[in-house]
Amino acid sequence: MDADTRDELLKLFSSKLNRAMRYYLETCTRCGVCVEACHVHASMGQSRYIAAYRAEIVRRIYKKYFKGRGRLWPSVAEAKELNQMAIDELFDAAYSCTGCRRCMVYCPFGIDTQMMMGIAKLLLIGASAEPEILTMLADMSVEKGKSYETSKPGFVAGLKRLEDDVVDKWRLEAGRTPIPTEVEGADLLYVALAGAHSIIPAAAVFNAAGENWSLSFFEAVNFGAFVGDPTKTKLILNRIVDEARRLKVKEVCICECGTAYRVMKQLSGDHPFSVSSITEVHARYLRANRIRLDKTKIRGTVIYHDPCQIARNGGVIDEPRYILSQLTDHYTEMTEDPTYNWCCGGGGGLVALGEETLDFRMKSARVKAEQIQAANAAILATACENCHTQLGDLNDHYELGVEVRFLSSMVADALVP
Amino acid sequence: MDKLIYFILVPMVYIASGVFVLGTIVRLVKIFREPKHPSPLQIYPEKKPAWLWAFVDTFTFPTVRRHKPLLWVFLMVFHIGLLLLIIGHLELFAEIDLIQIIPHNIFLGGGWVGLLVAISLLYFLFRRLASPVRDLSVPEDYYLLILLFLVVIFGSQMDWARSWYFYEEMGVDHYREYLSSLLFFEPYLPAEITDTGHSFMLVIHVFFANLFLIFFPFTQAMHAFLSLPVNKLRRG
Repeated sequence: MDADTRDELLKLFSSKLNRAMRYYLETCTRCGVCVEACHVHASMGQSRYIAAYRAEIVRRIYKKYFKGRGRLWPSVAEAKELNQMAIDELFDAAYSCTGCRRCMVYCPFGIDTQMMMGIAKLLLIGASAEPEILTMLADMSVEKGKSYETSKPGFVAGLKRLEDDVVDKWRLEAGRTPIPTEVEGADLLYVALAGAHSIIPAAAVFNAAGENWSLSFFEAVNFGAFVGDPTKTKLILNRIVDEARRLKVKEVCICECGTAYRVMKQLSGDHPFSVSSITEVHARYLRANRIRLDKTKIRGTVIYHDPCQIARNGGVIDEPRYILSQLTDHYTEMTEDPTYNWCCGGGGGLVALGEETLDFRMKSARVKAEQIQAANAAILATACENCHTQLGDLNDHYELGVEVRFLSSMVADALVP
Repeated sequence: MDKLIYFILVPMVYIASGVFVLGTIVRLVKIFREPKHPSPLQIYPEKKPAWLWAFVDTFTFPTVRRHKPLLWVFLMVFHIGLLLLIIGHLELFAEIDLIQIIPHNIFLGGGWVGLLVAISLLYFLFRRLASPVRDLSVPEDYYLLILLFLVVIFGSQMDWARSWYFYEEMGVDHYREYLSSLLFFEPYLPAEITDTGHSFMLVIHVFFANLFLIFFPFTQAMHAFLSLPVNKLRRG
């Protein structure tokens, strides 16, 4: 690595140094309480997957270039040079971390490993060593934001083809559009994923609740956040924020996508609209008797996987349980305390990388598979696209014999007038 | 030799205290002046009021108690012991009434506090010598533990000598005389401090304590000041 490249990378590093990051970089005492926290370490046993070890890979570079110690006495804290080997190590740390923040539950200080992996991911982008697919997907999303007017007719035509399926689940009064778009002054803007499974059940429930809603033109997923590019994350986010402002909606409802929810809820700043997950909205409808569910539709024991970005990191913990209490009498918890629920092993962009990470995802989520197996359930519900894909893969790989389902589609299937 | 002892007991104490105070302030100011993180960093479920729970987290380490109960016992013993030892040292400044609230024998605990702190430090050290904590550790972690152990063991030895073996040549009054003279910038070394059988203990104790103070602002020992604000971030 030449000196210019290194200087550029160090500039990227320092762009991440705010007060919280300094706390996280300075405070760790390497006490080892986090050893059992990470599902990758629990499943695979190697020390490099301990939360503090991952963080230390970033911290060593910090000590080398941002601390006097690194110059005067580098060996005392094992300050490390930023070179190609360090880049490889950063990749290994960042792309084996799903950003579930379970380690924050263990750490006596509450150090946020995901945030430090943010430095690692940004350095990887700077060194052009990030997974290319993620950058490509992020660029496509950004591009779509610029040219959405041209893709609009195709999108609307596509929605037309879904309308019958929506009406199958919930019959509307004549004259009303099953999947409305561009509704100015709508109470709720629903941001879905590309895929009928994310639109049809949601639309049926909105219609059943008599919601004044509108479907967003954009997909919720933020590949910029997966790859750890702050600029692209913001650009992708702003497409939706701009649309919500243009339509003057009161609420933006994010589909079952953990990253999209967390990014919109916590990173988008102050807006004239509120942000909620579809799980929160469904629980609200049920509590207000705006929709009713038939408990006989679901057969067998149901367990629920808390998506990390929605539950531990987003605070949506009671709502899915309330919905499930209205759906079935056979719900059981996988863990005593949802805070300790294992990550599915697919976050942080790993599922988006598909086959490339499949082997690692299966090995690193062994503990999750065991947790599911121990619950001995028929249906495994969840409320996140990534988790759903990963849990499906685990189901096949470990032959768990459960049916992996989206919570929203369970609600849609059980709707009664 | 006299010059070396004088250097350790007088100029080096000033240097160490200066580095400790200034270094800590400069480092903290530098960190606190950084811009705030733009988004919340808390985890859920949340408990209110967040600041109160951040205090609980900072001073009682509930996550350690839950996941590493034995470590928690030693951590509590160590940190409370350290606090008592600091109070004990402050009480040596007899001129400051504010810190002489309850008249009692200095030091608190009759030697047991030092012993418990030393044992805790050994526990931390041996724990760090074994995997997986060894894999996480860097030399600094060992240096700090060894340094603190040396400070505590030599300091405690003086205390044990007085309270357990009735060694009377060098006692609290002499420490007081020496420390107060430093505080008022009129350094004076009583003969009992420099020329008795246990002077060696005191010089070594002060030497390692100086080293520890000099290292403090630049190491993870800063968690003493940063733990509360970090915990506050987690609580929201």
